[in-house]
Amino acid sequence: MTAVLEARGITKHYGHVEALSGANFDVQAGEVVALIGDNGAGKSTLVRILSGAESADGGEVLFDGRKVNLTSPTDARELGMETVFQDLALAPHLSPVQNMYLGREVMRKGLLGKLGFMDNKAMREGSRSAFDRLGATVRDLNGTVGGMSGGQRQGIAVARAAAWAQKVIFLDEPTAALGVVQTQNVLDLVRRVSGEGIGVVFISHSMPHVMEVADRIQVMWRGRRVATYNKADTSMEQLVSAMTGAVAQEAS
Amino acid sequence: MKRKSTAIVAALAAVALGAAACGSDSDSGGASTGGAKDGNYKLAFVQGVAGDAFYITMECGIKEEAAKEGATVTTQGAQKFDPTLQTPILQSVIASKPDAILIAPTDVSAMQQPIAQAKAQGIKIVLVDTTLNDPSVAVSAISSDNTAGGKAAFEAIQKLAPNGGKVLGVGVQPGISTTDARDKGFEEAAKADPKFTYLGVQYSQNDPAKAASIVSAALQKDPDIVGIFASNLFSAQGSATGIRQAGKQGKVNVVGFDAGPEQIKALQDGTVQALIAQQPGDIGVQGVQQAIKALKGESNEAKIQTGSTIITKDTIDSPEGKAAAYKASC
Amino acid sequence: MSTTTSAPPASTEDAPTSRLSRISRLQALQILILLVVTVAVFTALRPDTFLTGFNIRGIVQNTAIYAVLGVGMTFVIITGGIDLSVGSVLVFSGVVADKIMVAYGGQGWGTVFVGLAAALASGLAWGLLNGILVAKAKVPPLVVTLGSLSAALGFAQIITKGLDLRDAPQTLVNDIGFGNIVGQVPTIAVVSAVVVIFGIVLLHRTRFGLYTYAVGSNAEAGRRAGVKVERHLIKVYAFAGLLAGFAGLLNLGFFQSTTIGGQSNTPLNVIAGVAIGGTSLFGGIGSVFGTVIGLFIPIVLQNGFIQTGVQPFWQQVVVGAVLVAVVYVDQLRRAAAVRGTPTRLPFLSRAGSTSRKGSA
Repeated sequence: MTAVLEARGITKHYGHVEALSGANFDVQAGEVVALIGDNGAGKSTLVRILSGAESADGGEVLFDGRKVNLTSPTDARELGMETVFQDLALAPHLSPVQNMYLGREVMRKGLLGKLGFMDNKAMREGSRSAFDRLGATVRDLNGTVGGMSGGQRQGIAVARAAAWAQKVIFLDEPTAALGVVQTQNVLDLVRRVSGEGIGVVFISHSMPHVMEVADRIQVMWRGRRVATYNKADTSMEQLVSAMTGAVAQEAS
Repeated sequence: MKRKSTAIVAALAAVALGAAACGSDSDSGGASTGGAKDGNYKLAFVQGVAGDAFYITMECGIKEEAAKEGATVTTQGAQKFDPTLQTPILQSVIASKPDAILIAPTDVSAMQQPIAQAKAQGIKIVLVDTTLNDPSVAVSAISSDNTAGGKAAFEAIQKLAPNGGKVLGVGVQPGISTTDARDKGFEEAAKADPKFTYLGVQYSQNDPAKAASIVSAALQKDPDIVGIFASNLFSAQGSATGIRQAGKQGKVNVVGFDAGPEQIKALQDGTVQALIAQQPGDIGVQGVQQAIKALKGESNEAKIQTGSTIITKDTIDSPEGKAAAYKASC
Repeated sequence: MSTTTSAPPASTEDAPTSRLSRISRLQALQILILLVVTVAVFTALRPDTFLTGFNIRGIVQNTAIYAVLGVGMTFVIITGGIDLSVGSVLVFSGVVADKIMVAYGGQGWGTVFVGLAAALASGLAWGLLNGILVAKAKVPPLVVTLGSLSAALGFAQIITKGLDLRDAPQTLVNDIGFGNIVGQVPTIAVVSAVVVIFGIVLLHRTRFGLYTYAVGSNAEAGRRAGVKVERHLIKVYAFAGLLAGFAGLLNLGFFQSTTIGGQSNTPLNVIAGVAIGGTSLFGGIGSVFGTVIGLFIPIVLQNGFIQTGVQPFWQQVVVGAVLVAVVYVDQLRRAAAVRGTPTRLPFLSRAGSTSRKGSA
């Protein structure tokens, strides 16, 4: 089956530092792929490149088998890929509804819409159905996001990405700052998103979470992918040892 | 949290109330209904600018004369000599319904309409010191003969620098009737004397710092200036500073207009060589008299010009010198 | 957006009012209460003279021009910026308008409209310059507008040689500056009110207003969501400049003079009004209605103090105290409401680089 998103031989350096030296990656539709690796392995860099926030120096990116050139986040978004970085990119003074639709507001029909008037009712309903469908707990649809707990905010950010994404979403350390219950909510959310046929790629340092929710795990080490495992076939020990480079470099 | 913020708001209201009730001027006591009662007239004095010895001296004159007539006086003035600041103050004064307003307008045209509003409310207007393009809104306009004052300033320079030379005027801002007249008087007298070269007039915007930089720049350009005429208090202060900055004390004669305490001190120190003192107290006295006349229905003198005195270092301590100096408080 | 069949039970509820607008409405309400209390106190002290038609007219006339400036300033401050140049742009626009009206000739409405076009164009030009320097060159707004404060005033002084121009057409002075539109209602107040209402609608009901809040709240989030942050900032500063230009024409009509020397405190007074009215200097929160109330308070205080004979200097002290107290109270409330707000004043930093503490 063709991967919905595939990367081959991506290279990227910042000055003298080589962040990626021929990295590969792939994710299938409806699959949850965990991207793990030690600090400096290149995970975040790879995700930034695949989401269009940065451009690669070399290598190619294929979307549904076609070669694509991602020059900006808008390019990625147009292909149906959304990203949630660690800072969540939520505007704290705005409501969940306003955050959900930020940049994609629904305008009123006709002249009013051209003048800039928005269809708040439609956006409220759309947000509510998205949150409900994905099980994101949002108690006050009109409150400010800044006043909500970390877990709620994570839920909103992930739900936003999932609601707009058609094909792939990237999550960078989605459970890093969350407590136990909130983490479970996010992992449930991840499973539900993949259940809708969207490919989920998430970076994590937390082996237990990875083992719990991922279908496949890809390990990076020093700028390359060194191993790919199906969850069923692997163990935490194997993952950790792969992360430290004990596995020989994968033949591409 | 909400209780705390409500408490703060309440405290603010109390502060406002307290300041209003306690900080009142001693003269402006209880609320009086509009309309004159004989001998109990309410006068309001709107200064050109607050904190200026000229207007303080005028205020003293006004209060003395008002006390004689049994009238009460409130005094208000803005922080800067500027119509944008004087207008809201004047409008508030008008709203408090005095019987008459004595005002020094800060601009010949910008204050025309606001003062006309006062007249429309039935308040008698007396213009003191400065005037308007159309002074007919007032019952009387009282000021020094500023043109003669400017001429006198030049005469003072002639005495101080009999060999002639370059002279410069440091004015305030065009549009102020009084300083315009002084600048003109000085200019005409200077141009009439072939021994002197008139370098023109520059404007300090009533800012001593600006006057200082004008003078020090002028001295850079023309180091042989023999005389500077500064047509008001702040301009004179700044000019003296500018001369000091250029290191030309003793070489440049400064004649100032107005004799505030700092000016007198500058005269004593030798930074300024002569002062043309107006008689602001007298202007105030005459202002009150004209206002009362108008309120009693008697006839007014439309224009009154008061005199000026030349003070030099020699005459500071004479009785005339002492009387001519302005007060810093009543 | 994709749909699916399986879903857990929903747990979203609508609060009856938006918490965000509740906060700024609460602030505006408290300021309104403060204003009402102040008016009540002065009315009690001076029952015959404070709440008269004449006095109210005077107060409203004196606030009108500040209100026009306040609308633009509110937008700018919500984005986390600041505009110190409004006073100078006002003067410059008045000067340009006056010159062009005199060149065009005449005293009637045609001339006034020519002057209006000139004033708006001048203000817009300065606003665009401010916006481009802030958004593209990434110079901090405080620095940019400090520069245009000097430059605009300097240009005005060059054009006029430092002397105020006083030849505004009669129609401008009589009909707009001091005229009444109907009965005792001053024209300048009505004009200002129209601008204020426009500002309220623009800020609270349109996407332009929403983006203004978004940029001030988290510009990076906006950028990633596809909001054209730089372009929006330029528009906001241009809007503020445009309004300053308009205010310049109104000012010319009201004072019959370009008031070159009289606008040095204007930006600070406007910013004080904006802050008192509940707009946060940190960006992301604010309202035009609050600004207008906030602008009324110092003017009402000054008026009341004069009527009760308080020394002029006390007025400054109390207004300063009110400003600090109100902003302090607002900060307390806001700290609880929104976590992850910045700790550095954003108009000292590069635009669009709002950093948040602890967001995840």
